[in-house]
Amino acid sequence: MAQSEQTHAVRPVPAPFTGRQEIDLDVVREMMSHFKYDDFEEAQELILAALQEVNEHYGWVSPEAAAVVAEHLGTSTTRVFALLSFYADFRTEPRGHHHLLVCHGVSCYVMGSQKLVQALRDDYGIEDGDTTPDEQLSVQVVNGCLGVCDRSPVVKIDDEFVGHVTPESLNDLLQRAIVGREAMLAQEETNGSHSTR
Amino acid sequence: MVHTAPDEHLTRLNSKEDFLRLQKQSIDRWENLWEGNATVISVGVGSSSVAKGALEILDLVRAEMADTAVVREVSGNGAFWMEPWIEIKRPGAMPVLYGPVTEADVPGVLAGARDDLAVGTRSEHAEGNIPPLTEHPFFKHQVQLLTRNAGVIEPDSIEDAIARGAYHGYFKVLFEMSQEEAIAEVTTANVRGRGGGGFPAGIKWESGRKAKASPKFVVCNSHEGEPNVYKDRHLHEADPHRILEGILIACIACGADRGYNYIGGEYPLGIKRFRKAVADAERLGLIGKNVLGSGKDVAFRVRTGGGAYICGEASALMYSIMGVRGQPRTKPPRSVEEGIWKRPTVANNTETLANIPDIIVNGGEWYASLGTEKSKGTKLMTIQGPSKRHGVVEVEMGMTMGQLFNEVFGGMPDGYTYKGVQTGGVSAGPVTPAHFDIPLDFDSLTPLNGMLGSGGFVNFDESVCVVDFARYMTAFSRYESCSKCVPCRLGNPALVEILDRIRFGRGSLEDLALIRRTSKHIIELSLCGLGQVAPVPLIGLLDTYEEEFRRHIVDGVCPTGTCPISARQPALTAAD
Repeated sequence: MAQSEQTHAVRPVPAPFTGRQEIDLDVVREMMSHFKYDDFEEAQELILAALQEVNEHYGWVSPEAAAVVAEHLGTSTTRVFALLSFYADFRTEPRGHHHLLVCHGVSCYVMGSQKLVQALRDDYGIEDGDTTPDEQLSVQVVNGCLGVCDRSPVVKIDDEFVGHVTPESLNDLLQRAIVGREAMLAQEETNGSHSTR
Repeated sequence: MVHTAPDEHLTRLNSKEDFLRLQKQSIDRWENLWEGNATVISVGVGSSSVAKGALEILDLVRAEMADTAVVREVSGNGAFWMEPWIEIKRPGAMPVLYGPVTEADVPGVLAGARDDLAVGTRSEHAEGNIPPLTEHPFFKHQVQLLTRNAGVIEPDSIEDAIARGAYHGYFKVLFEMSQEEAIAEVTTANVRGRGGGGFPAGIKWESGRKAKASPKFVVCNSHEGEPNVYKDRHLHEADPHRILEGILIACIACGADRGYNYIGGEYPLGIKRFRKAVADAERLGLIGKNVLGSGKDVAFRVRTGGGAYICGEASALMYSIMGVRGQPRTKPPRSVEEGIWKRPTVANNTETLANIPDIIVNGGEWYASLGTEKSKGTKLMTIQGPSKRHGVVEVEMGMTMGQLFNEVFGGMPDGYTYKGVQTGGVSAGPVTPAHFDIPLDFDSLTPLNGMLGSGGFVNFDESVCVVDFARYMTAFSRYESCSKCVPCRLGNPALVEILDRIRFGRGSLEDLALIRRTSKHIIELSLCGLGQVAPVPLIGLLDTYEEEFRRHIVDGVCPTGTCPISARQPALTAAD
């Protein structure tokens, strides 16, 4: 426990925002130009990888982006969407300004990750895959493992891992993340910089 | 002295002499590094230590020491409890590991003033008062074959890997052995599938070699989607060239045209390091046309998974590679007859293939002398849940569970008592401390509903309610079911419903019989391995802790206060 408190004190949340992003189709086309193939079989092997790249860059894949992928790899949008809806890593809706991963591996379960999932449901009204109505926060419950089992239960907010989380410290963390972002935006406004975020 | 990427000057190897020259060069370079007058500082960077700030520590070390020392980014060594760690080798001294280190500790450690943080030396000899790391209980009982380079080499450096023996087995298979001889060594070694099935690799290879069609493929299954296993991730981060060499040897021995590695999307660092390994091997001509002038061609592709647990099943994995939904199909035909693109495909687990280079170099007889009669070699084990020490360890098959849990992993932390240990990821039942004298191998756990499987264990203590735990694991299978066949698609939700009934205090004793009956249907009728083992953890928990299930039903009490039935706590519903 002492370690997590220290982590909280030393490093202010937020880390760099992953942010909420609209998809620029020209950028997607540029990404696709790196996926070269010799035959139809190889093109099909690349669908998953191409979608992963878009998903990684923007945090989600829109129907329009899926169509660009399909066109580049000579397949149908339906086929591409079949993959998007099957594989758990993909999102088909944009993320919130902050993206929270809650590890729900066995280790985190044994150490109480379920209470975190419940707290998100009670306090923020969101479940796995949801985004809050004010677009501040989106949540993904990871059925696999974030790999920091000796600090379980673990969450990852934006780029930052936080271990030994309790419902109280989770709430605290989210509030500081949201307030921190608003303060940063206000700061940017007074400095006159034009941030798109 | 800035340590640049060491292998940028390397060029394509065109003959076996070129390779031998590079091998000698690399060994000389390696020996100079450790025997010379330079100070060598290594920071262990793996996914688990990155989460604890290892990269920040590496930056600090670089900023301070880049001009006066060689700074290396190595992988974690499996000991999560000492992360993040720094290893310092001063001229004329043994390399000493310090950990866990915070950013504030770094200057002190670099100045040599923090012997209180020293864990041990990476050597047989002590350094002053600091004993060798191998005397620490976590390392004392390990037999490190697959992980001997973990935390030692720079995973991004092919020269480091070659200096430590990488591609020597590949070289032997290319120039000194026939396909039959290579497969005979693997068969003699009797290395069994590490993914959970325990099927002998040699038999698989032999049928792959005999398959007449062309092209043929070899697939390495590096998709461990189970929520508590990270051994393959550790291997990818620590020693990617070992895995790549294993796959390439399999390609040559089976006469395959192309190797694949299907890596789960859960470990980006492992994927990055493995891709770098493939790129380097390709640049050196170890992959491609006419490898080292031997006249043999091998192509290679890396594919990454999208977070579907089912893709760890061999046929689902192949469908996923082919760009469709990863849903298993009925067998026969087996994958060695019809796999990727309907071509013969040999599929092995990462850990199995990582064993291969040593078997080729040292011979099958040597490997067969390790382990027990039916389970040869070593096995990677991981621990989760409350435990004094977490990490990945490699131990010889046949170690007792008690020794693994209590000596290597240090037992339960203070304030916790064992209720049991969940075995085999989410595919098997639990064992209790009464069974801790049972040896760890492929077969001994089976009578207890347990499974060695992928070597992932989870300690759980008295605060865990077994009904809720069973619901968690059944809900996992429900979520991860690919929905292709009926027993799994409908059976798992039905089991969750029954368990919820018990958790909410509306269960009856007949429900226990219903659980067994439904489980039997799922186990017997499901299409693939996921469905066939989905209810096993539930049945295992029910067999072992039936009394606690009964207390929920008869007394209306959840002894731990977890379930909604208990008034001590607000209602909790497990996540789907």
